[in-house]
Amino acid sequence: MGFLIDMLREAWDLLTSFDPEFRSILWLTLLVSGAATAIGVVVGVPLGVALGAGRFRGRGAAMALVNTGMGMPPVLAGLVLLLLLWNDGPLGAWGLLFTPIAMIAAQALLAIPIAAGVTAGAVRGLPPEAHEQVRALQLGRWARGVVLAREAWPGVAAGAAAAFGRVVSEVGAVLVVGGNIEGETRVLTTAIVQEARRADFGAALALGIVLLVLALTVNAFLTWFQLREA
Amino acid sequence: MKVAITGVDRDIGAGRRLVIDRLEFEPATTTVLFGPNGAGKSSLVRILSGTLPGGPGIPVAYLPQRPYVFRGPARRSLLLGLDDDGGSRAVELAERLGVAGILGRRARELSGGERRRLGLARALAGPERVVALDEPFSDIDVVDRADVRSTVAEAIAGRAAVIVTHDRDDAAAIGDRLVVLVAGSVRQAGPVAEVLALPADEIVAGVLGAANLIPGTVQDRADRLVGLDAGFGVVWGMGDAPRGSSAVAVFGAETVTVYRGHDAGTGSARNRWAGVVEATRPVGRLIEVAVEVGTGRLVALLTPGSSDALDLHEGAEVTLAAKATAVRIMVR
Repeated sequence: MGFLIDMLREAWDLLTSFDPEFRSILWLTLLVSGAATAIGVVVGVPLGVALGAGRFRGRGAAMALVNTGMGMPPVLAGLVLLLLLWNDGPLGAWGLLFTPIAMIAAQALLAIPIAAGVTAGAVRGLPPEAHEQVRALQLGRWARGVVLAREAWPGVAAGAAAAFGRVVSEVGAVLVVGGNIEGETRVLTTAIVQEARRADFGAALALGIVLLVLALTVNAFLTWFQLREA
Repeated sequence: MKVAITGVDRDIGAGRRLVIDRLEFEPATTTVLFGPNGAGKSSLVRILSGTLPGGPGIPVAYLPQRPYVFRGPARRSLLLGLDDDGGSRAVELAERLGVAGILGRRARELSGGERRRLGLARALAGPERVVALDEPFSDIDVVDRADVRSTVAEAIAGRAAVIVTHDRDDAAAIGDRLVVLVAGSVRQAGPVAEVLALPADEIVAGVLGAANLIPGTVQDRADRLVGLDAGFGVVWGMGDAPRGSSAVAVFGAETVTVYRGHDAGTGSARNRWAGVVEATRPVGRLIEVAVEVGTGRLVALLTPGSSDALDLHEGAEVTLAAKATAVRIMVR
C-alpha cells in the first residue's frame, strides 16, 4: 500500500512541477493527435456521409473496408507508413521518418476509418423521412451531404471524439514511425512505455493521469454538448 | 412540361408490386392520385420525384407524405435550397398557410399539421415545373381545408401537378384528372367528373364511393346554405363559396333518394330534380341508377329491393331528392 501512495505522491510532484520536458511531451501529443484527428474528420466525415446516405455501387465493399479500418491494429498502420517512408521506400526521399509529420500521418490512418464509420452509422440512423426530405429538396450532392451531416451532428461529433480518443491513446503507430526520440517525437504514450521500462513508476503514473484527464476533458465537453442539444 | 412515368415494375412491400406501363402528366393540369392504402400512390410520387429510382429524372417539387423538419428553427427548413426569390415566395406561402408565426420554433415543437403546412410552403415555393404532393391536406383542420386547397391550387396553376389523396372532396375541388390506383396498377384514369360519375367497375366505384359532381355558379346563399346554378336547376348545399364564384357540388350517390314519377309529393329534402332513368347496373350488392336530369346526369345507389319495388328501367320517369346537408359546395 505504501508503495502505491509513494507513487501517487511522486506523480503529483511531477504534475505540479510541470517541467519543460513534460511540457514538450504534452504539447507534441496534442499537436500530433489533434492534427491526425483533424485530418480524420476532414476526410472521414464526407466519406461517412457518402457511405451512410448514398446509393452507389461498391458501397458494401467500402463499408467493409471502413469497418476493418476501425479495428486496424495501430502498430500495423505504423508499419505501413514505415515501409512507405523508409529510406529506400517510395516516399523515402521526403525524409519524414521519425518526425512528427510521419506520426500525424500514421495516426490519421487510424482516425479516418473511425470518423467515417461512426458518421456513416449516425447518418444511416437518421429517420427515413429525413433522407427523403433531403432528396426532395433538389440540392446538389455536396449541399445534400452538408444537410445530412448537420442533421446527424451529435453522431459526427462522437466520431471525432472517438477518433481523438483512439489516436491519443495508441502507442504502436507513433512508436514505429516516430521512434520515441526525446524532445522530438516523444508523446504521452511512448513516454509511459519508456518510464515503465525504466521502473520509474511515479513518472509513468503521472503521464497516465494526464492522458486520462485529456480523454475525460474531450468526452465531457462532447457529452455536455450532446445533452444540451437533446 | 409534360412528364411521364414509364415501365415501372417494382416491389412496394407486403408482397405487392407497382406496375405502370405509362402514365402521363400534362402541363397546367392537376392529376389526383386516388386509391386505398397500400395501392402504391406514395411509391408512384416517390418515383416521379426521384426519391426512388426509375423516374423521369427531372426536377420535381415534392412534398413527402411525412414532411421532415430539420434541426434549427423551422425557418431553416422552409428556406433550405431556395434562392432569394424562392425564399420570399416560401415566406409568403407560409403566411397564407398560417405558419408564418412558427418559423422561429424547432421541429419538436411543431404539430403534424404545422409540419405539413411548412413542407407545403417549401415544396410550392421552388421554380420546378412539375409538382408532386403526397397527401397535402391530411391532418389539416376541416375549417382551414378550403383555404389551404385554394392556396395550393393557386401555387400549382400552370404547372403539371400530381396530388395524392383519399378524400373525394379534395379530388373534386382541386383535380382536373383523376387516376384511380388499386393494388399497384391504374384501374381508371380520366377527367375528375367523368371518373367520379362513371366508375369503370365495381372496384373503382367502391374505392371512390359513387358520387355526383356538379359544376356551376353560386347564385344565392343564406348563412351556410349555398344555391348553385347547375344549368338544369339549382342545387342547394352546405359550404362557404361566395356568391358569383364558380363552384362544384359534391354528394354521394347513396345520399340520393329516388321517387317514381314526376310528382313526388312533399318532404324535407331541399333538392328535387325530375329526370329519366338512363341506365341501371349492379355495383357490389347495390344497384346504381343513372338519371338524366335536363342537361345533367346524376347517380343514385339503391338496394336491389328498392330498385325492384320502384320498377326502375331505362326510360322510367323519376324524381331525385337530396338533403342540402348531404351536399357540399366548394369553390373551384
